[in-house]
Amino acid sequence: MSQTLTAPAEAAPSDVDVAFEDLYRSSRDDVYGYVAGLLRDRHAAEDVTAAAFERAYRKRAKYDPRRGEPRAWLFGIARNAALDELRRRGRQAELTTEPADDTPAPEDLADLGIRRTIVATAFERLTTGERELISLKFFAGLSNAEIAQVIGASESNAGTKLHRTVTKLRKACDETA
Amino acid sequence: MKLREDDQMDPQVERELAAIDAARRGDAVEADLADLAELSGEIAELRPSPEESFAARMDRKVAAGFDTGEGRENAFGIASAWERFRSIPMTRRLMPVGAIALAAVVAVTTVVSLNSGGAGSTDSNPGAEGDTAAVAQSADAGGGKAASAPIPSTVESPESAAGPARLPKGASNASTSAIGGQTTTGPYASGEKRRYVERNAQLTLGTDPGKVGDVTDDVLGIVGRYDGIVLNSSVSDGPAGDAGAEFELLIPSARLGDALANLSGVAEVRSRAENTKDITAPTVTTGDRLREARAEVEGLLKQLAAADTDAERQSAEEQLSFQRQRVAGLRSALNSLKRRANLSRVSLEVVTGDASSFGSADGGRWTIEDALADAGRILATAAAVTLVGLAILAPFALLALLFWLGRRGWVAGSRRRVLEG
Repeated sequence: MSQTLTAPAEAAPSDVDVAFEDLYRSSRDDVYGYVAGLLRDRHAAEDVTAAAFERAYRKRAKYDPRRGEPRAWLFGIARNAALDELRRRGRQAELTTEPADDTPAPEDLADLGIRRTIVATAFERLTTGERELISLKFFAGLSNAEIAQVIGASESNAGTKLHRTVTKLRKACDETA
Repeated sequence: MKLREDDQMDPQVERELAAIDAARRGDAVEADLADLAELSGEIAELRPSPEESFAARMDRKVAAGFDTGEGRENAFGIASAWERFRSIPMTRRLMPVGAIALAAVVAVTTVVSLNSGGAGSTDSNPGAEGDTAAVAQSADAGGGKAASAPIPSTVESPESAAGPARLPKGASNASTSAIGGQTTTGPYASGEKRRYVERNAQLTLGTDPGKVGDVTDDVLGIVGRYDGIVLNSSVSDGPAGDAGAEFELLIPSARLGDALANLSGVAEVRSRAENTKDITAPTVTTGDRLREARAEVEGLLKQLAAADTDAERQSAEEQLSFQRQRVAGLRSALNSLKRRANLSRVSLEVVTGDASSFGSADGGRWTIEDALADAGRILATAAAVTLVGLAILAPFALLALLFWLGRRGWVAGSRRRVLEG
């Protein structure tokens, strides 16, 4: 899953473009998954994902490998774009998109496993920050170290927060069941 | 289970996180963590996947380098343009700003330099100094001879040394007159009907080195024709810049204008300056004192004639001697003043060499010293302009910095609040 922008900033543009395209190919669905999990709005997630990749594309020459892995750098950009979208909409993201596109509608519940519905419901009840951690880990597939880079925390701190969130989710699922 | 958020992670937390990672990789986990592994799989199944149409649209955008102009770029044009600007490295972003600032400094420096006389400009009126006011006319270098059209001069007289007590305002400033040595007349506060005005002029003529002798002859001829006096003269030969002549002349003030017109016709006029100084007040004062002294002398003579004793006679003679000396001094001073009014001093210089560089001490050549001096002046002006510009811009830059820092902090805080919400 890990990808590296091998071309330094001073390299020829074509090398940087190739590296960026590799990063895009390997990260597009992950970024979308993370953003959609955070926003819970498929259309907004598409806009934010596109904006994040465009920002990353514009900034690709400024990428500094010393400041982190390319995926962490990319998810940092996507994170800011998603949070800016949430800021712009205020809390509308949570109010107007309920139930979220990925949340099973009542008529679809029969088609979904009960257990999965319980998990989805528990996920919906998490705070934005908690949903972000779950999205980064399970939707984007980031390692704990990468999550730490994205949210700006130490790896142990990020791991602890993630564990706390999973425990909360687990407890919510058990109580619902 | 206690969770610790420092660098030392709880072993149980570490173990469960490892189990999650193992489950995500599809590896087996310990039995007591099987439900956690199962939950990991169930969460992963919730992962939203992009639609094919979106994926295809993104592929096209990336392939086109995000220049397709579709989608978000249209919807957020300003934001996109801002993003594009921000994506430019700082050094490249500052280059146009620096270029504009440099151009502004150069432009302002040029304007300031031109307004202040410009680099390398020569003083066309070196003799117009002191307490007499004068307006010099620097002749057009290519203007040729000015015999038929003497350079007009505006002459402004200051108040005389005696002060305004003896010359009303109207009189002191009413001396704008044609050059010609004509004393203006009229009623004055002092009761004097004539005004005494001292005039002098500086004239610089330019000619070829081989014609200095001819010009000198013409000058002397004109001085003689107008009953003038040559106080000093010096003529030197040599190449252009070295050859030349200098004259100190006295010309009857009544004929000064005509004489200057004729002198201006013998060669190319490089510069001409005329000065006036109203000496009516000291002249009148000296005349009054002279009359008083003479009256004193007459009185003393009568006193001497009527003296009966030797002591009275001796006393009258002593006073008479003093007053006679006083009369002699005052008469001399009055004659000097009247001579200054009647004869105008003309400093005439005949130079050779390039007219454009006339006035420099090196014969008109623009030397490395001149270049250094000009460069220093320009640099000083540029530094001053830059300093003023910085003084103007500094508060704005500080405000912009504070605004940027504040906005950055506000954005970070609001993002954090979004997550906490």
